[in-house]
Amino acid sequence: MRKARFLAIVVLLALLVPVVSHNNAQPVKAADRVQIRWFVGLGAGTDAPLIEAQNKLVEEFNASQDQIELVIEIIPNAQAYDALSTEIAAGNAPDIVGPMGIRGRASFPGVWMDLTPLIEANSYDLSDFDPALVDFYKVEGEGQLGIPFAVFPSFMLYNTALFDEAGLPYPPKAYGEPYVDADGVEHEWNTDTLRDIAMYLTVDANGNDATMDEFDPEDIVQFGYGNQFTDVRGRDTLFGSGNFVDADGNAVVPENWRAAEHWYHQAMWEDYFYPNGVYGNSELLGGPGGNWFGTGNIAMITIHSWFLGWGTDGLEGTWDFAPVPSYEGQVTAKLHADTFGIMDSTEHPDEAFAVLSYLLGDRAEDLTTLYNGMPARLSLQSTYIEHYVAQLTETYPDTDFASKNWDVVPAALAYPDNPNHEEGMPSFLEASARYGEYSQEADNNADYDVDAGLDSLQTDLQAIFDAVAN
Amino acid sequence: MGISLKWTRVARTQPRQGLRAGLRSMSPAQRREARWGLIFISPWLIGFTCFYLMPMIASLIFSTYSFKLSAPGDAHFVGLANWKRMLFHDSNVWEGLRVTFTFGLISLFIGMVSAFLLAVLLNSKHLLARNVFRTLFYAPTMVPLIAAIVIWSRVLNPQTGWINKLIDLFGIHAVGVTGLRWLDDPKLIYFAYTFIGLWGIGNAVLINLAGLQGVPTELYEAAEIDGASWLKRLWKITIPMVSPIIFYNLILNVVGLLQYFIVPWVLNQGSGYPEGTTRFYMVYFYKQAFTFQNMGYGAALAWLMFIVALIITTVLFTTGRSWVYYSSEER
Repeated sequence: MRKARFLAIVVLLALLVPVVSHNNAQPVKAADRVQIRWFVGLGAGTDAPLIEAQNKLVEEFNASQDQIELVIEIIPNAQAYDALSTEIAAGNAPDIVGPMGIRGRASFPGVWMDLTPLIEANSYDLSDFDPALVDFYKVEGEGQLGIPFAVFPSFMLYNTALFDEAGLPYPPKAYGEPYVDADGVEHEWNTDTLRDIAMYLTVDANGNDATMDEFDPEDIVQFGYGNQFTDVRGRDTLFGSGNFVDADGNAVVPENWRAAEHWYHQAMWEDYFYPNGVYGNSELLGGPGGNWFGTGNIAMITIHSWFLGWGTDGLEGTWDFAPVPSYEGQVTAKLHADTFGIMDSTEHPDEAFAVLSYLLGDRAEDLTTLYNGMPARLSLQSTYIEHYVAQLTETYPDTDFASKNWDVVPAALAYPDNPNHEEGMPSFLEASARYGEYSQEADNNADYDVDAGLDSLQTDLQAIFDAVAN
Repeated sequence: MGISLKWTRVARTQPRQGLRAGLRSMSPAQRREARWGLIFISPWLIGFTCFYLMPMIASLIFSTYSFKLSAPGDAHFVGLANWKRMLFHDSNVWEGLRVTFTFGLISLFIGMVSAFLLAVLLNSKHLLARNVFRTLFYAPTMVPLIAAIVIWSRVLNPQTGWINKLIDLFGIHAVGVTGLRWLDDPKLIYFAYTFIGLWGIGNAVLINLAGLQGVPTELYEAAEIDGASWLKRLWKITIPMVSPIIFYNLILNVVGLLQYFIVPWVLNQGSGYPEGTTRFYMVYFYKQAFTFQNMGYGAALAWLMFIVALIITTVLFTTGRSWVYYSSEER
């Protein structure tokens, strides 16, 4: 019996040891420092080439001082929203989140710390930022939720090889210039012209293009145009700014967006130059969530500056920039603006702010270059393109980045979308999920009734908004 | 084993006595054994209390609160409001249950029959290289489910997936937007999901196989002498003899189906596409609780599923008495 008792005690101790020893197993070094967790996933920073660079930055920060241990968590964007929700729910929220776009911030209302007291206490210098951009992060009732970090202008990219193959002249080089066709006729660079040349660039397996009677829409091997890596609000912004909520908090579908949705549906199912749901998720365009432009099977896309380098890798430099086309005489080049936020739940706001200052101050230029963003600091903007081209050339030596039409990139900042296409809505995640359902149905059904779908979307969004209001 | 048999006997012969009285009636040796039994089982009891019982009680309390994950400080008591909303005002709840049961009826039947028939096949003495086939059928279960789903989404792509290309070879128009759109067509979606589920059928096959190997061979020999056909032997001997295994698989499958989540979530992030046919109950629960962060309402939804699962398993266990045959049972 003594043996049995001894055995039982040993078994119990063996079970308890891992539990008890958990806290003691922490490295001595970590115990001496305040740990600050940095969450990456709601914006740029999750692509493979960036992970190593961010880890290196963390190592450098940790080596530069002995008060704070910075720990980075990089979660792929598709999972990041759920991961952060779960961490918040478990009382295990990170201290710093970023870079994150407007959408990322709006997805988690009420969890961000008002930075105003920290900015004042640390006499943080905001004079190097455009005041309008600083105010951009000031949310009524919540305070200053971020410090400007980087902006990501959008533009069109076109595949020069596919234009050459079709014998089509390239798109214009600057905003305001017309498109000059092969016969020398000038056309306004707008969504109608985009449609016309995109159809020429859409080709089936037999080499017929989408303007021909013989064209086989069941066997397309090359598409003309796509608005890549964005959602309904993002793609509709090609037709002007808007949002699904008006100033009074009611659900709306702006008329320009309704026109946009008809244009896209026709582009997918009648003109065939835009990948529908089936083609968009097929191997032809890189599989589900794939990089359409990177496959070389699409002639033109609208995209942001964070795409350059990794997104164009493999095309052997056969691409260039073009201005975003206009709709009814007005150009709207959607803009992404990223920041870093400190979570309200942090137990170490001073240390978190110290890390924030390091990321947005000392390392701002490195980080914005790393994330392909244009620095929000005015003092860094003049050298942005130069540094950016140098960094891209070093990372992707097969592409002659210096020869590209870079003037289009900063020029897009003159046509930002206001309201921004990522602007908040009541019950943001629920509302986003609902309009995501709309696009999934519309993009996968040739006979989808766009107007009825949008009316139903508006009704459902109103119910979601009303539930929040009540 | 000895301890549990004695303990059971005491409990059965003294059904009206309490635990204390039961312990008093034990001999010192029995009491000592019972005490050691409890000590050995205590890690599990502690784990159950900490990780199951307490969270369950907590979630029952949460279900009476308006509790947003992102703002736990704003949580406030709302009584039965979440339950009222769930039972009487939220059509998504009943739609989720309807979708889950509809898919369950298709998937459960196909999944269980396939697993059983495969096990019969793999148990056949006429099958060459049985061990190779057994390994091959089990191997897919070792592939992580998420990876398998992503691969299947590409395999089932109407345009470039090889399933449609294979079907096309037989002269059936399958490739293309007007072809077989497995993951887009409401009429095909449940079969596509079932098909993806069959990829991981190895575990159920293995359990069935173990059951089949436990059937005494003399029963088959006697039946053969009596002239019973293969089908008759299957129906009259095999199925009754492995009915406890079938019952076990049934319970596992039913519970698994009520929790069906990963496939629709990975493929559609819970959008319900196409036409709401994949708006499974657990997907709706997850969205409410974790995506929309409505933990109070999510807790009520979780409890409703618990109650549904409890009712179904109770019914199954009750009816199981009439069709499950336990050879060692005293009747």
